Amino acid sequence: MSAARTARTATRTGAPARGTTFRETMLGTLRLDDEDRTRRVRLDLTVCADRVLRLLGTTEARATGRIRVADMVDDPCAEGELEISPLARRRIRYRITFTADGRRFALDGWKSVTPRRPVASMTVLTYTLHEDGARIGAGTLLFPLGTGLLPFLASFRFPRREDPGAFLVPRWHGEPGRTEVWYTTLTDPATGTGLWLHHELTAPADGSEPYAHGWAAVFPPDGPVRHARFGPTPWAPGESGFSADGVAVRPGLLSGAAGGGTLSWRLAERPVAEPLFTFPRWSWRRPLLPAAQMLPAARALYDGTFTHDDTTLTLTAAPGASARIYGHGNARRWAWLHADLGGGDVLEIVAAVSTRPGLRGLPPLVFLRLCRQGRGWPRRPERSAAGWAGAGRFRADIALPTWTVTGRTGLRRIRVEVTQPADRTLTLDYTDPDGGHATCRNSERADAHIRWERWWFGGWRTEAEWTLEGTAHAEVGTR
Amino acid sequence: MSLTGLVAALIADDGTTDWPRRVPARLESVLTTMPRAARVGVRAAARGVDAYALTRTGRTLGALTVSERESVLNELAARPALLPLLDVLKVPVLLAAGTELMIEGGPARRGFTRPDPPLDLTPAHAWPARSTADAVVIGSGAGGATAARVLGRAGLDVVVLEEGRHHPTESFGRRTPLDRFTELYRDGGATVAVGSPPLLLPTGRAVGGTTVVNSGTCYRTPDHVLSRWSKDFGFAPADGFDPYLDEAERTLRVATQPLDVLGENGRIALKGARELGWRAAPLRRNAPGCQGSCQCVVGCPTGAKQSVQLSVLPDACAAGARIVTGARVERVLVDTDGPGGPRVSGVRAGRGSGGFEILAPLVVVAAGALQSPPLLRRSGLGRHPRLGRNLSVHPATSVAGRFAEPVTAWQGVLQSVGVEEHHAHGILVEATATPPGMGSFILPGVGSELRRELESAGHLATLGAMIADRPSGRVLGRDRTLLRYDLDHRDAGRLMRAVRAMGELLFAAGAEEVLTGIPTTPRVRGLAELDAVLAGTSARRLHLSAYHPTGTIAAGADPQRFPADPWGRLRGVHGVLIADASVLPSCPQVNPQLSIMAAALALAEAAVRA
Repeated sequence: MSAARTARTATRTGAPARGTTFRETMLGTLRLDDEDRTRRVRLDLTVCADRVLRLLGTTEARATGRIRVADMVDDPCAEGELEISPLARRRIRYRITFTADGRRFALDGWKSVTPRRPVASMTVLTYTLHEDGARIGAGTLLFPLGTGLLPFLASFRFPRREDPGAFLVPRWHGEPGRTEVWYTTLTDPATGTGLWLHHELTAPADGSEPYAHGWAAVFPPDGPVRHARFGPTPWAPGESGFSADGVAVRPGLLSGAAGGGTLSWRLAERPVAEPLFTFPRWSWRRPLLPAAQMLPAARALYDGTFTHDDTTLTLTAAPGASARIYGHGNARRWAWLHADLGGGDVLEIVAAVSTRPGLRGLPPLVFLRLCRQGRGWPRRPERSAAGWAGAGRFRADIALPTWTVTGRTGLRRIRVEVTQPADRTLTLDYTDPDGGHATCRNSERADAHIRWERWWFGGWRTEAEWTLEGTAHAEVGTR
Repeated sequence: MSLTGLVAALIADDGTTDWPRRVPARLESVLTTMPRAARVGVRAAARGVDAYALTRTGRTLGALTVSERESVLNELAARPALLPLLDVLKVPVLLAAGTELMIEGGPARRGFTRPDPPLDLTPAHAWPARSTADAVVIGSGAGGATAARVLGRAGLDVVVLEEGRHHPTESFGRRTPLDRFTELYRDGGATVAVGSPPLLLPTGRAVGGTTVVNSGTCYRTPDHVLSRWSKDFGFAPADGFDPYLDEAERTLRVATQPLDVLGENGRIALKGARELGWRAAPLRRNAPGCQGSCQCVVGCPTGAKQSVQLSVLPDACAAGARIVTGARVERVLVDTDGPGGPRVSGVRAGRGSGGFEILAPLVVVAAGALQSPPLLRRSGLGRHPRLGRNLSVHPATSVAGRFAEPVTAWQGVLQSVGVEEHHAHGILVEATATPPGMGSFILPGVGSELRRELESAGHLATLGAMIADRPSGRVLGRDRTLLRYDLDHRDAGRLMRAVRAMGELLFAAGAEEVLTGIPTTPRVRGLAELDAVLAGTSARRLHLSAYHPTGTIAAGADPQRFPADPWGRLRGVHGVLIADASVLPSCPQVNPQLSIMAAALALAEAAVRA
């Protein structure tokens, strides 16, 4: 499917292309009905809307955050809804629920916007406090214009909102010499077992019939790596993903069997993060690079079963991710890492040397995306691969069993060291559309050490450091 | 400026008794409750009379002797063009003088006061600035209270917003009728419809609305009116109205007024009708156990009259409704950007300092036929060209008869007997007596003549007649109501016939003379003389007042003619239900409380079903 068609599909679902997030802090007071004193209140909210804020209309948004009421409440998990309609309804309504000492409270109030007092009416939130549906108090929260306006405005983001399922739709449309891949890697948190499901469509460069094939591999902690192939089988175009030889990739579901039933799986996939474009987004939309890789969801959780050698793994909320590749074939050399860093943070690296004449002599281009606290780093994917006309690009040292990536942008730098022990690594042959072969060494139980530093007045200070033991997903390919 | 001189002149204060000296102070307190225009008008007129006195005598009224004052006033009264102006001046003065005269006569008889059933009342200042409800009812009168009860019983969380205060029954006994009058009526009872002729159109403002100050007369909507509502206008509840009227009657405990406390005024009406062979009977009223206090129009001091704050609102509160008092709704809030068109989202109300908002998906507008259209206009919902038009009232006039024997009309039922002989022609005569000075009848004369009339008012029997009008009025304004009413030619004729019918009735009952209320010929001593007087005058010379405004947001089938649909839902917005007198498509031709309640019952039940 072409990029344009993908975009149309997303439009047909009716979902807006971008959302809105911002943070807001308000300070004020609360007077309980049975008290004759006021308590100080602080409300810190992160607000997310599924669409770009409509100033002339109404925007419904979700809010999470922290509420503190002096000597009464400190709940960091307050949540609720906002109805933002400053002009259409002249109202910005907040409904926040929170708990304290087993009591459940609901704050319900709204700013009543009036053109006669625009500033006061946009900054004063008058509210009523309820407990179990009964009113227990009332108060006022004030947005502190002097100290709060700049952080409030600076906190606005308009992230793209994409349907992970839309990225599973096949992109191949009959061109010869193309490879398209749907692959999933995950780690069972209960046993430490790593899983790899690889689904591939190959359209040979000589124009012969395309075929679908793939494999599944399991990386148990206490035994040898097992894998089994399925296919090849003639490619039957599908609408919503990969489907061949009884193996299917559909939005929210992975199922199939390989090796004549030696390995079989049925997994439900729950995306829990936004899409992650390891390569620049434009390169996925317009396939100008030899190949591009992206993750429909930077993190996903898997539930279901995976059976191998009469052993059935039952997975519950196993972390991992699915990824997509579309291009002309495998690289000349490459390294790949997917590391779930915990707390919602993810590191994705693809370092590759192209097979194209002229490009094959270059050092590996490193595409590195660190998603930390909802923000991506480096800000542009091109930055790590190309630097400033080559200067300052990230560097990869591809070797086995340990390969490294280092890089710096501005005041931050990263060092990633990935180790793929031989006993936890599976070696497979890849076949390119042009008939060439590459050797891939993959481990879903790799180790990784990541250090992220920030320059601060003359020295580098470690801002975050992660060590993954057997939970990193990595691969090194050579010819 | 002091009003002492004018008052002294009008009621001939000769210093022989105390009560006239207290009238100016009482008048001042009356004026403070009146609208600014009325206050300014009265003071300007007083200044004018003073200026006239200064021109004629070199001194103002206050500095003149009794006979000089009398002479000045008689000079003014000799000019026919000034008589209507003098009569307007006399209205507040008679109010104050009547009260003082009543106090002079000794403390009022105190009847047994029943305890009021409980209400869930919250003053506006204690209501939270932000709250939510399932339904907000604007107004606690006949329509609003009934709608609140229906919605509350359906399980909805209902808030009733009332601009006035709550007046418990026991508070009525503590204050003079005049004090209550100025508190219970909007604009101190001086709401005026501008037009030809101007009409006084008093409406109540309290928890219970106008039902607190009405006469308690409960007529069922006549069949021919219902038929017209159904066939000509497509007002849906009119088909099958009877069960709702029955329900309203049960709630208000409506029954025919027993004769024991009827009072002499009513008996005279019955006697006159009997002599003439006219259809007349004690009225059906909602006052079981009425003790004939004759104070219905200033709040029943015994709690016998089942105004809605004693009958309907307690049920509503028992079903969970809450009443906020002293809350004037500034606007109905509308969400204009939702799917499916504009939708109501709540109300904003004022309460002196700041205001409060209540969000609710259903807003019942029951602020009365005179207040609801401006409310909708200032809420941006007044775009329908017929909104505020189609104002029907019952133009009314009074006639008094002087009898040889004492009548003491203020002892007995205020509105006691209905004479329906001419009802088919749109004229309903009702024997109506009021506390001194509060009726629509203005005693004739100035100076010592007026004083004599005041002191011999105990020999007067008073009849009132209201006529079914053509809708000839408009409610204008956004923030303040401005009324325009031009009496239709047909209705003017009806009024003249009504005066004649009342005169005939009084003479038949044995009246020595009849006070016509016409400034130029205030007294007639026979029917022939009355006919001659009526032949030489027009309805515009009568003292007219009007009651029972209806029809300003009429419901009906034709979207071009009716701002509300057949089930009372305001067109052009979702979630606004009209449930007061304004929803009635035309004049009900009888005292409308039952009609309003039955309509509100039917419309609110339909809203709940929807």
